[in-house]
Amino acid sequence: MDIDTLVRGLVNGSLYALVAVSFNILYRPTNVFNFAQGELVMLGAMVFASASTLMGLPWIGALAVALVAVGILGLIEERIAVAPVLAKSQHNTGWVITTLAVSLIISNLVGRVWGPDPIMVEPPPLLSTQTLDWTGIQINSYQIALIIVTFVMVLAIERVYRTRHGKAVLATAEDREAALLRGIDPAKLSRWSFFLGGAFAGLTGVLAAPILYASTALGPSLLLKGFAAAAVGSIGNNRGALIAGYLIGLTEAIGASVLSPGYQEAVIFVLVLTLLLLKPHGLFGRPFTRTV
Amino acid sequence: MADKLLSVETVDVGYGHVGVIENLSLAVPKGAVVALVGRNGAGKSTLLRAVSGLLTPSKGRIVFDGRDIGRAKPHAIVDAGLLHVAEGRRLFRSQTVDDNLELGAYGTSLSKADFAGRVERVHELFPILKEKRHDLAGALSGGQQQMLAIAQAMMRDPKLLMLDEPSLGLSPLLVDQVFAAILSLRGSGTTILLVEQLVERALEIADAAYVMQNGRVIANGPAAEIAKSEALKTAYMAV
Repeated sequence: MDIDTLVRGLVNGSLYALVAVSFNILYRPTNVFNFAQGELVMLGAMVFASASTLMGLPWIGALAVALVAVGILGLIEERIAVAPVLAKSQHNTGWVITTLAVSLIISNLVGRVWGPDPIMVEPPPLLSTQTLDWTGIQINSYQIALIIVTFVMVLAIERVYRTRHGKAVLATAEDREAALLRGIDPAKLSRWSFFLGGAFAGLTGVLAAPILYASTALGPSLLLKGFAAAAVGSIGNNRGALIAGYLIGLTEAIGASVLSPGYQEAVIFVLVLTLLLLKPHGLFGRPFTRTV
Repeated sequence: MADKLLSVETVDVGYGHVGVIENLSLAVPKGAVVALVGRNGAGKSTLLRAVSGLLTPSKGRIVFDGRDIGRAKPHAIVDAGLLHVAEGRRLFRSQTVDDNLELGAYGTSLSKADFAGRVERVHELFPILKEKRHDLAGALSGGQQQMLAIAQAMMRDPKLLMLDEPSLGLSPLLVDQVFAAILSLRGSGTTILLVEQLVERALEIADAAYVMQNGRVIANGPAAEIAKSEALKTAYMAV
Protein backbone atom coordinates (compact mmCIF):
# COMPACT_ATOMS: atom_id res chain seq x y z
CA MET A 1 0.00 0.00 0.00
CA ASP A 2 1.24 3.47 -0.82
CA ILE A 3 0.21 7.07 -0.38
CA ASP A 4 -1.57 7.08 -3.77
CA THR A 5 -4.00 4.54 -2.40
CA LEU A 6 -4.91 6.99 0.35
CA VAL A 7 -5.45 9.79 -2.18
CA ARG A 8 -7.78 7.58 -4.20
CA GLY A 9 -9.63 6.63 -1.02
CA LEU A 10 -10.05 10.25 0.04
CA VAL A 11 -11.27 11.35 -3.38
CA ASN A 12 -13.88 8.60 -3.69
CA GLY A 13 -14.75 8.99 -0.01
CA SER A 14 -15.54 12.67 -0.63
CA LEU A 15 -18.07 11.69 -3.29
CA TYR A 16 -19.67 9.06 -1.04
CA ALA A 17 -19.93 11.59 1.78
CA LEU A 18 -21.61 14.13 -0.52
CA VAL A 19 -24.16 11.55 -1.72
CA ALA A 20 -24.82 10.57 1.90
CA VAL A 21 -25.42 14.21 2.86
CA SER A 22 -27.86 14.63 -0.03
CA PHE A 23 -29.72 11.53 1.29
CA ASN A 24 -29.90 13.14 4.71
CA ILE A 25 -31.24 16.44 3.38
CA LEU A 26 -34.30 14.65 1.99
CA TYR A 27 -34.62 12.23 4.88
CA ARG A 28 -34.79 14.74 7.71
CA PRO A 29 -38.22 16.28 7.19
CA THR A 30 -39.85 13.30 5.42
CA ASN A 31 -38.31 10.05 6.77
CA VAL A 32 -38.05 9.03 3.12
CA PHE A 33 -34.98 7.47 1.48
CA ASN A 34 -34.89 8.61 -2.07
CA PHE A 35 -33.84 5.61 -4.15
CA ALA A 36 -33.52 7.91 -7.17
CA GLN A 37 -30.73 9.86 -5.46
CA GLY A 38 -27.99 8.11 -7.47
CA GLU A 39 -29.76 8.98 -10.71
CA LEU A 40 -30.09 12.61 -9.64
CA VAL A 41 -26.31 12.67 -9.14
CA MET A 42 -25.82 11.08 -12.56
CA LEU A 43 -28.21 13.55 -14.17
CA GLY A 44 -26.28 16.44 -12.63
CA ALA A 45 -23.13 15.15 -14.38
CA MET A 46 -24.94 14.66 -17.72
CA VAL A 47 -26.66 18.05 -17.75
CA PHE A 48 -23.37 19.70 -16.81
CA ALA A 49 -21.49 17.81 -19.53
CA SER A 50 -24.00 18.90 -22.17
CA ALA A 51 -24.20 22.48 -20.95
CA SER A 52 -20.45 22.90 -20.93
CA THR A 53 -19.31 20.87 -23.95
CA LEU A 54 -22.31 21.11 -26.31
CA MET A 55 -23.73 24.53 -25.38
CA GLY A 56 -20.30 25.93 -24.59
CA LEU A 57 -21.34 27.57 -21.31
CA PRO A 58 -18.53 28.58 -18.97
CA TRP A 59 -17.95 26.26 -15.99
CA ILE A 60 -19.92 28.32 -13.49
CA GLY A 61 -22.85 28.79 -15.90
CA ALA A 62 -23.05 25.07 -16.64
CA LEU A 63 -22.92 24.39 -12.89
CA ALA A 64 -25.87 26.72 -12.31
CA VAL A 65 -27.88 25.03 -15.09
CA ALA A 66 -27.16 21.58 -13.61
CA LEU A 67 -28.09 22.59 -10.05
CA VAL A 68 -31.35 24.26 -11.02
CA ALA A 69 -32.35 21.46 -13.41
CA VAL A 70 -31.72 18.65 -10.92
CA GLY A 71 -33.23 20.67 -8.06
CA ILE A 72 -36.44 21.14 -10.03
CA LEU A 73 -36.48 17.45 -10.91
CA GLY A 74 -36.17 16.65 -7.19
CA LEU A 75 -39.13 18.93 -6.53
CA ILE A 76 -41.17 17.24 -9.27
CA GLU A 77 -40.30 13.85 -7.80
CA GLU A 78 -41.54 15.02 -4.40
CA ARG A 79 -44.82 16.25 -5.90
CA ILE A 80 -45.65 13.12 -7.92
CA ALA A 81 -43.85 10.25 -6.16
CA VAL A 82 -43.57 11.17 -2.48
CA ALA A 83 -46.19 13.69 -1.32
CA PRO A 84 -49.19 11.67 -2.62
CA VAL A 85 -47.90 8.55 -0.84
CA LEU A 86 -47.35 10.34 2.47
CA ALA A 87 -50.68 12.17 2.17
CA LYS A 88 -52.49 8.85 2.68
CA SER A 89 -50.57 8.04 5.83
CA GLN A 90 -47.35 9.36 7.31
CA HIS A 91 -46.26 5.75 7.89
CA ASN A 92 -47.01 4.57 4.36
CA THR A 93 -43.85 3.06 2.85
CA GLY A 94 -45.06 3.09 -0.76
CA TRP A 95 -42.27 5.59 -1.50
CA VAL A 96 -39.85 2.65 -1.67
CA ILE A 97 -41.48 1.64 -4.94
CA THR A 98 -42.31 5.12 -6.26
CA THR A 99 -38.80 6.53 -5.80
CA LEU A 100 -37.34 3.36 -7.32
CA ALA A 101 -39.66 3.89 -10.29
CA VAL A 102 -38.42 7.47 -10.66
CA SER A 103 -34.86 6.11 -10.60
CA LEU A 104 -35.59 3.65 -13.43
CA ILE A 105 -37.39 6.29 -15.50
CA ILE A 106 -34.50 8.77 -15.22
CA SER A 107 -31.94 6.08 -15.97
CA ASN A 108 -33.81 4.91 -19.09
CA LEU A 109 -34.50 8.40 -20.39
CA VAL A 110 -30.92 9.51 -19.89
CA GLY A 111 -29.71 6.36 -21.67
CA ARG A 112 -31.91 7.25 -24.66
CA VAL A 113 -31.07 10.94 -24.79
CA TRP A 114 -27.34 10.83 -24.09
CA GLY A 115 -26.46 7.30 -25.23
CA PRO A 116 -24.27 4.78 -23.42
CA ASP A 117 -20.85 6.34 -23.99
CA PRO A 118 -19.18 8.16 -21.11
CA ILE A 119 -18.61 11.86 -21.75
CA MET A 120 -15.33 13.40 -20.72
CA VAL A 121 -15.73 16.49 -18.57
CA GLU A 122 -13.09 19.14 -18.02
CA PRO A 123 -12.37 20.40 -14.51
CA PRO A 124 -13.07 24.08 -13.80
CA PRO A 125 -10.52 26.69 -14.91
CA LEU A 126 -7.30 26.94 -12.88
CA LEU A 127 -7.67 23.29 -11.79
CA SER A 128 -6.37 20.30 -13.62
CA THR A 129 -6.63 16.53 -13.57
CA GLN A 130 -2.99 16.33 -14.68
CA THR A 131 -1.23 14.48 -11.92
CA LEU A 132 1.56 16.33 -10.16
CA ASP A 133 4.33 14.59 -8.39
CA TRP A 134 4.28 16.53 -5.15
CA THR A 135 6.95 15.32 -2.73
CA GLY A 136 6.41 11.80 -3.96
CA ILE A 137 2.61 11.86 -3.72
CA GLN A 138 0.70 11.47 -6.96
CA ILE A 139 -2.11 13.96 -6.65
CA ASN A 140 -3.70 16.57 -8.90
CA SER A 141 -5.05 19.97 -8.08
CA TYR A 142 -8.62 18.93 -8.86
CA GLN A 143 -8.47 16.14 -6.29
CA ILE A 144 -7.23 18.53 -3.61
CA ALA A 145 -9.98 21.00 -4.47
CA LEU A 146 -12.63 18.26 -4.35
CA ILE A 147 -11.65 17.22 -0.82
CA ILE A 148 -11.68 20.83 0.38
CA VAL A 149 -15.03 21.56 -1.32
CA THR A 150 -16.55 18.49 0.34
CA PHE A 151 -15.70 19.78 3.81
CA VAL A 152 -16.91 23.27 2.96
CA MET A 153 -20.22 21.95 1.57
CA VAL A 154 -20.93 19.72 4.56
CA LEU A 155 -20.23 22.59 6.96
CA ALA A 156 -22.39 24.91 4.83
CA ILE A 157 -25.30 22.45 4.98
CA GLU A 158 -24.88 22.18 8.75
CA ARG A 159 -25.12 26.01 8.87
CA VAL A 160 -28.45 25.78 7.04
CA TYR A 161 -29.80 23.71 9.96
CA ARG A 162 -28.88 26.54 12.35
CA THR A 163 -31.30 28.91 10.63
CA ARG A 164 -34.93 29.12 11.74
CA HIS A 165 -36.14 27.08 8.76
CA GLY A 166 -33.41 24.52 9.42
CA LYS A 167 -34.42 24.21 13.06
CA ALA A 168 -38.00 23.71 11.89
CA VAL A 169 -36.82 20.80 9.72
CA LEU A 170 -35.12 19.21 12.73
CA ALA A 171 -38.24 19.85 14.83
CA THR A 172 -40.41 18.14 12.21
CA ALA A 173 -38.06 15.16 12.13
CA GLU A 174 -38.25 14.85 15.90
CA ASP A 175 -41.99 15.30 16.51
CA ARG A 176 -44.11 15.97 13.47
CA GLU A 177 -47.31 16.59 15.38
CA ALA A 178 -45.69 19.02 17.81
CA ALA A 179 -44.28 20.84 14.78
CA LEU A 180 -47.76 21.10 13.26
CA LEU A 181 -49.06 22.63 16.50
CA ARG A 182 -46.35 25.31 16.36
CA GLY A 183 -47.30 26.54 12.92
CA ILE A 184 -44.69 24.58 10.97
CA ASP A 185 -45.92 23.31 7.61
CA PRO A 186 -44.09 20.02 6.94
CA ALA A 187 -45.34 19.87 3.35
CA LYS A 188 -43.53 23.12 2.54
CA LEU A 189 -40.32 21.98 4.27
CA SER A 190 -40.52 18.70 2.36
CA ARG A 191 -40.76 20.55 -0.99
CA TRP A 192 -37.79 22.77 -0.14
CA SER A 193 -35.75 19.82 1.07
CA PHE A 194 -36.32 17.90 -2.15
CA PHE A 195 -35.27 20.94 -4.16
CA LEU A 196 -32.17 21.51 -2.04
CA GLY A 197 -31.35 17.79 -1.85
CA GLY A 198 -31.78 17.50 -5.62
CA ALA A 199 -29.50 20.47 -6.25
CA PHE A 200 -26.94 19.02 -3.83
CA ALA A 201 -27.06 15.71 -5.70
CA GLY A 202 -26.60 17.63 -8.95
CA LEU A 203 -23.56 19.37 -7.48
CA THR A 204 -22.13 16.00 -6.46
CA GLY A 205 -22.55 14.80 -10.03
CA VAL A 206 -20.77 17.88 -11.41
CA LEU A 207 -17.89 17.37 -8.98
CA ALA A 208 -17.65 13.63 -9.78
CA ALA A 209 -17.71 14.05 -13.55
CA PRO A 210 -14.05 15.06 -14.20
CA ILE A 211 -12.91 12.00 -12.21
CA LEU A 212 -15.45 9.30 -13.07
CA TYR A 213 -16.74 10.66 -16.44
CA ALA A 214 -20.40 11.46 -17.03
CA SER A 215 -22.29 8.28 -17.85
CA THR A 216 -25.38 6.33 -16.84
CA ALA A 217 -23.13 3.98 -14.85
CA LEU A 218 -22.50 6.77 -12.36
CA GLY A 219 -25.86 6.47 -10.58
CA PRO A 220 -26.06 2.92 -9.21
CA SER A 221 -22.52 2.76 -7.78
CA LEU A 222 -22.74 6.13 -6.03
CA LEU A 223 -26.24 5.35 -4.75
CA LEU A 224 -25.12 2.16 -3.03
CA LYS A 225 -21.93 3.52 -1.46
CA GLY A 226 -23.52 6.85 -0.59
CA PHE A 227 -26.35 5.01 1.13
CA ALA A 228 -23.82 2.86 2.98
CA ALA A 229 -22.06 6.04 4.16
CA ALA A 230 -25.35 7.55 5.34
CA ALA A 231 -26.23 4.36 7.27
CA VAL A 232 -22.79 3.92 8.86
CA GLY A 233 -22.66 7.62 9.76
CA SER A 234 -26.16 7.38 11.32
CA ILE A 235 -29.03 8.46 9.10
CA GLY A 236 -29.66 12.20 9.35
CA ASN A 237 -26.21 12.96 10.80
CA ASN A 238 -24.15 14.95 8.27
CA ARG A 239 -20.88 14.94 10.18
CA GLY A 240 -21.30 11.20 10.60
CA ALA A 241 -21.87 10.93 6.86
CA LEU A 242 -18.63 12.83 6.21
CA ILE A 243 -16.56 10.52 8.41
CA ALA A 244 -18.29 7.37 7.16
CA GLY A 245 -17.79 8.46 3.54
CA TYR A 246 -14.03 8.63 4.07
CA LEU A 247 -14.06 5.38 6.03
CA ILE A 248 -15.73 3.60 3.12
CA GLY A 249 -13.60 5.31 0.47
CA LEU A 250 -10.37 4.42 2.26
CA THR A 251 -11.46 0.84 2.95
CA GLU A 252 -12.32 0.42 -0.69
CA ALA A 253 -8.96 1.77 -1.89
CA ILE A 254 -6.92 -0.19 0.64
CA GLY A 255 -8.91 -3.37 -0.03
CA ALA A 256 -8.30 -3.01 -3.74
CA SER A 257 -4.57 -2.48 -3.31
CA VAL A 258 -3.94 -5.12 -0.62
CA LEU A 259 -6.24 -7.86 -1.95
CA SER A 260 -7.26 -7.26 -5.52
CA PRO A 261 -9.51 -4.71 -7.25
CA GLY A 262 -11.99 -7.53 -7.80
CA TYR A 263 -12.67 -7.68 -4.08
CA GLN A 264 -13.08 -3.97 -3.39
CA GLU A 265 -16.88 -4.04 -3.35
CA ALA A 266 -16.93 -7.13 -1.16
CA VAL A 267 -14.53 -5.52 1.31
CA ILE A 268 -16.77 -2.44 1.65
CA PHE A 269 -19.92 -4.37 2.27
CA VAL A 270 -18.27 -6.71 4.76
CA LEU A 271 -17.19 -3.58 6.63
CA VAL A 272 -20.63 -1.98 6.40
CA LEU A 273 -22.46 -5.11 7.51
CA THR A 274 -20.09 -5.66 10.42
CA LEU A 275 -20.42 -2.05 11.60
CA LEU A 276 -24.20 -2.10 11.32
CA LEU A 277 -24.42 -5.42 13.18
CA LEU A 278 -22.39 -3.95 16.02
CA LYS A 279 -24.04 -0.52 15.91
CA PRO A 280 -27.44 -0.78 14.19
CA HIS A 281 -28.01 2.99 14.32
CA GLY A 282 -24.60 3.78 12.85
CA LEU A 283 -21.43 5.00 14.49
CA PHE A 284 -22.92 8.23 15.75
CA GLY A 285 -26.01 7.02 17.57
CA ARG A 286 -29.63 7.57 16.78
CA PRO A 287 -30.25 10.71 14.77
CA PHE A 288 -32.54 12.01 17.50
CA THR A 289 -32.30 10.73 21.02
CA ARG A 290 -35.42 11.04 23.05
CA THR A 291 -35.37 11.39 26.78
CA VAL A 292 -38.69 10.91 28.51
CA MET B 1 -72.01 37.34 27.25
CA ALA B 2 -69.12 38.97 25.46
CA ASP B 3 -68.13 38.17 21.86
CA LYS B 4 -67.39 34.56 21.15
CA LEU B 5 -63.78 33.98 20.17
CA LEU B 6 -64.22 30.27 19.55
CA SER B 7 -67.46 28.54 18.84
CA VAL B 8 -67.79 24.82 18.23
CA GLU B 9 -71.16 24.08 16.65
CA THR B 10 -72.80 20.60 16.66
CA VAL B 11 -69.57 18.83 15.83
CA ASP B 12 -68.93 15.10 15.31
CA VAL B 13 -65.30 13.92 15.53
CA GLY B 14 -63.75 10.48 15.42
CA TYR B 15 -60.79 8.38 14.36
CA GLY B 16 -61.69 6.60 11.13
CA HIS B 17 -65.13 5.10 11.64
CA VAL B 18 -64.93 5.23 15.42
CA GLY B 19 -66.92 8.21 16.63
CA VAL B 20 -65.61 9.87 19.79
CA ILE B 21 -67.47 13.17 19.94
CA GLU B 22 -71.12 13.52 19.01
CA ASN B 23 -73.08 16.67 18.34
CA LEU B 24 -70.93 18.78 20.62
CA SER B 25 -71.26 22.54 20.97
CA LEU B 26 -69.10 24.83 23.04
CA ALA B 27 -68.28 28.53 23.13
CA VAL B 28 -65.31 30.43 24.50
CA PRO B 29 -65.96 34.18 25.00
CA LYS B 30 -63.16 36.65 24.33
CA GLY B 31 -60.99 37.22 27.41
CA ALA B 32 -62.51 34.35 29.41
CA VAL B 33 -60.98 31.27 30.96
CA VAL B 34 -63.14 28.26 30.14
CA ALA B 35 -62.52 24.92 31.84
CA LEU B 36 -63.35 21.64 30.14
CA VAL B 37 -63.61 18.79 32.62
CA GLY B 38 -64.57 15.14 32.59
CA ARG B 39 -63.08 11.72 33.12
CA ASN B 40 -60.35 10.17 31.01
CA GLY B 41 -61.75 9.11 27.66
CA ALA B 42 -64.60 11.61 27.73
CA GLY B 43 -63.27 13.15 24.49
CA LYS B 44 -61.64 16.33 25.81
CA SER B 45 -58.30 15.89 24.04
CA THR B 46 -60.07 14.73 20.89
CA LEU B 47 -62.03 17.98 20.88
CA LEU B 48 -58.84 20.05 21.22
CA ARG B 49 -57.22 18.05 18.41
CA ALA B 50 -60.18 18.83 16.16
CA VAL B 51 -60.04 22.54 17.00
CA SER B 52 -56.32 22.73 16.22
CA GLY B 53 -56.77 20.93 12.90
CA LEU B 54 -55.05 17.62 13.73
CA LEU B 55 -58.42 15.92 13.22
CA THR B 56 -61.16 16.97 10.82
CA PRO B 57 -64.74 16.96 12.12
CA SER B 58 -67.13 14.82 10.07
CA LYS B 59 -70.01 17.18 10.87
CA GLY B 60 -70.57 20.68 12.23
CA ARG B 61 -68.58 23.91 12.21
CA ILE B 62 -65.69 25.29 14.22
CA VAL B 63 -65.58 29.08 14.06
CA PHE B 64 -62.57 30.96 15.39
CA ASP B 65 -62.38 34.75 15.34
CA GLY B 66 -65.17 34.88 12.79
CA ARG B 67 -63.67 32.29 10.43
CA ASP B 68 -64.66 28.66 9.83
CA ILE B 69 -61.51 26.66 10.61
CA GLY B 70 -63.14 23.20 10.57
CA ARG B 71 -61.17 22.15 7.51
CA ALA B 72 -58.13 24.42 7.80
CA LYS B 73 -54.59 23.02 8.06
CA PRO B 74 -52.95 23.10 11.51
CA HIS B 75 -50.35 25.72 10.51
CA ALA B 76 -53.06 28.02 9.17
CA ILE B 77 -54.95 27.74 12.46
CA VAL B 78 -51.78 28.58 14.37
CA ASP B 79 -51.25 31.59 12.08
CA ALA B 80 -54.79 32.73 12.91
CA GLY B 81 -53.74 32.94 16.59
CA LEU B 82 -55.05 29.70 18.09
CA LEU B 83 -52.33 27.80 19.96
CA HIS B 84 -52.67 24.30 21.40
CA VAL B 85 -50.29 23.12 24.13
CA ALA B 86 -50.76 19.38 23.78
CA GLU B 87 -50.81 16.83 26.54
CA GLY B 88 -47.46 15.34 27.49
CA ARG B 89 -45.24 18.41 26.98
CA ARG B 90 -44.53 17.97 23.30
CA LEU B 91 -41.28 19.86 22.89
CA PHE B 92 -38.33 19.56 20.55
CA ARG B 93 -36.19 17.78 23.09
CA SER B 94 -32.97 17.58 21.10
CA GLN B 95 -32.93 21.37 20.67
CA THR B 96 -32.08 24.00 23.26
CA VAL B 97 -34.56 26.02 25.32
CA ASP B 98 -33.74 29.11 23.24
CA ASP B 99 -34.23 27.20 19.97
CA ASN B 100 -37.61 25.97 21.20
CA LEU B 101 -38.65 29.55 21.92
CA GLU B 102 -37.42 30.62 18.50
CA LEU B 103 -39.46 27.83 16.88
CA GLY B 104 -42.46 29.14 18.81
CA ALA B 105 -42.22 32.19 16.56
CA TYR B 106 -41.65 30.16 13.35
CA GLY B 107 -43.33 31.70 10.35
CA THR B 108 -44.08 35.03 12.03
CA SER B 109 -42.58 38.20 10.62
CA LEU B 110 -41.57 39.65 13.98
CA SER B 111 -38.80 42.24 13.94
CA LYS B 112 -35.70 41.45 15.99
CA ALA B 113 -36.82 43.88 18.69
CA ASP B 114 -40.36 42.46 18.90
CA PHE B 115 -38.95 38.94 19.05
CA ALA B 116 -36.62 39.96 21.87
CA GLY B 117 -39.58 41.57 23.64
CA ARG B 118 -41.58 38.34 23.50
CA VAL B 119 -38.62 36.36 24.81
CA GLU B 120 -38.25 38.85 27.65
CA ARG B 121 -41.93 38.50 28.51
CA VAL B 122 -41.78 34.71 28.81
CA HIS B 123 -38.53 34.98 30.76
CA GLU B 124 -40.34 37.27 33.24
CA LEU B 125 -43.13 34.75 33.59
CA PHE B 126 -40.78 31.73 33.80
CA PRO B 127 -37.33 32.92 34.98
CA ILE B 128 -36.02 29.33 34.93
CA LEU B 129 -36.15 29.40 31.11
CA LYS B 130 -33.65 32.25 31.08
CA GLU B 131 -31.35 30.43 33.45
CA LYS B 132 -31.48 27.21 31.38
CA ARG B 133 -31.59 28.87 27.98
CA HIS B 134 -28.68 26.88 26.53
CA ASP B 135 -29.79 23.50 27.96
CA LEU B 136 -31.51 20.93 25.80
CA ALA B 137 -35.28 20.89 26.32
CA GLY B 138 -35.06 17.13 26.93
CA ALA B 139 -32.79 17.77 29.92
CA LEU B 140 -35.35 19.91 31.76
CA SER B 141 -37.53 18.58 34.57
CA GLY B 142 -41.19 17.86 33.90
CA GLY B 143 -42.38 21.14 35.36
CA GLN B 144 -39.79 23.15 33.45
CA GLN B 145 -40.81 21.38 30.25
CA GLN B 146 -44.43 22.31 30.86
CA MET B 147 -43.41 25.93 31.34
CA LEU B 148 -41.36 25.82 28.15
CA ALA B 149 -44.32 24.34 26.27
CA ILE B 150 -46.58 27.18 27.43
CA ALA B 151 -43.84 29.75 26.80
CA GLN B 152 -43.34 28.39 23.28
CA ALA B 153 -47.02 28.92 22.50
CA MET B 154 -46.88 32.43 24.02
CA MET B 155 -44.15 33.46 21.58
CA ARG B 156 -46.97 34.00 19.08
CA ASP B 157 -48.98 36.13 21.47
CA PRO B 158 -52.03 33.88 20.93
CA LYS B 159 -55.61 35.08 20.90
CA LEU B 160 -56.67 31.73 22.30
CA LEU B 161 -54.49 29.32 24.22
CA MET B 162 -55.70 25.74 24.65
CA LEU B 163 -53.93 23.93 27.49
CA ASP B 164 -54.33 20.15 27.71
CA GLU B 165 -53.62 18.75 31.20
CA PRO B 166 -50.85 21.22 32.09
CA SER B 167 -50.53 19.79 35.62
CA LEU B 168 -50.24 16.15 34.55
CA GLY B 169 -47.36 14.37 36.27
CA LEU B 170 -46.15 17.44 38.16
CA SER B 171 -45.37 17.73 41.88
CA PRO B 172 -47.76 19.92 43.95
CA LEU B 173 -45.20 22.73 44.09
CA LEU B 174 -44.86 22.79 40.31
CA VAL B 175 -48.63 22.57 39.90
CA ASP B 176 -48.83 25.81 41.90
CA GLN B 177 -46.31 27.42 39.55
CA VAL B 178 -48.22 26.33 36.47
CA PHE B 179 -51.51 27.64 37.87
CA ALA B 180 -49.80 30.91 38.83
CA ALA B 181 -48.68 31.19 35.22
CA ILE B 182 -52.22 30.57 33.95
CA LEU B 183 -53.52 33.27 36.33
CA SER B 184 -50.90 35.68 35.07
CA LEU B 185 -51.92 34.95 31.45
CA ARG B 186 -55.52 35.48 32.41
CA GLY B 187 -54.53 38.80 33.98
CA SER B 188 -52.90 39.90 30.73
CA GLY B 189 -56.12 39.20 28.84
CA THR B 190 -55.28 35.95 27.04
CA THR B 191 -58.34 33.80 26.36
CA ILE B 192 -57.81 30.26 27.65
CA LEU B 193 -59.51 26.92 27.12
CA LEU B 194 -58.24 24.68 29.91
CA VAL B 195 -58.53 20.89 30.05
CA GLU B 196 -57.51 19.82 33.54
CA GLN B 197 -57.78 16.77 35.76
CA LEU B 198 -57.46 18.86 38.93
CA VAL B 199 -61.10 19.84 38.62
CA GLU B 200 -61.44 21.98 41.75
CA ARG B 201 -58.41 24.07 40.94
CA ALA B 202 -59.47 24.47 37.34
CA LEU B 203 -62.94 25.63 38.36
CA GLU B 204 -61.42 28.10 40.86
CA ILE B 205 -59.63 30.05 38.14
CA ALA B 206 -62.20 29.56 35.35
CA ASP B 207 -65.08 31.85 34.44
CA ALA B 208 -67.17 29.17 32.76
CA ALA B 209 -67.01 25.40 32.57
CA TYR B 210 -68.18 22.51 30.43
CA VAL B 211 -68.57 18.97 31.75
CA MET B 212 -68.03 16.18 29.25
CA GLN B 213 -69.03 12.55 29.44
CA ASN B 214 -68.83 9.92 26.68
CA GLY B 215 -68.22 12.47 23.95
CA ARG B 216 -71.05 14.82 24.91
CA VAL B 217 -71.44 17.94 26.99
CA ILE B 218 -73.67 17.06 29.94
CA ALA B 219 -73.57 20.44 31.69
CA ASN B 220 -72.24 23.94 31.22
CA GLY B 221 -72.45 27.29 32.98
CA PRO B 222 -70.53 29.62 35.28
CA ALA B 223 -67.63 27.78 36.91
CA ALA B 224 -68.87 28.41 40.48
CA GLU B 225 -72.24 26.80 39.69
CA ILE B 226 -70.69 23.85 37.90
CA ALA B 227 -68.44 23.24 40.92
CA LYS B 228 -71.54 22.59 43.03
CA SER B 229 -73.57 20.78 40.37
CA GLU B 230 -74.85 17.22 40.33
CA ALA B 231 -73.65 16.80 36.75
CA LEU B 232 -70.04 17.12 37.85
CA LYS B 233 -70.48 14.36 40.41
CA THR B 234 -72.23 12.18 37.82
CA ALA B 235 -69.43 12.72 35.32
CA TYR B 236 -66.79 11.54 37.77
CA MET B 237 -68.76 8.84 39.57
CA ALA B 238 -70.66 7.11 36.78
CA VAL B 239 -69.10 4.09 35.13
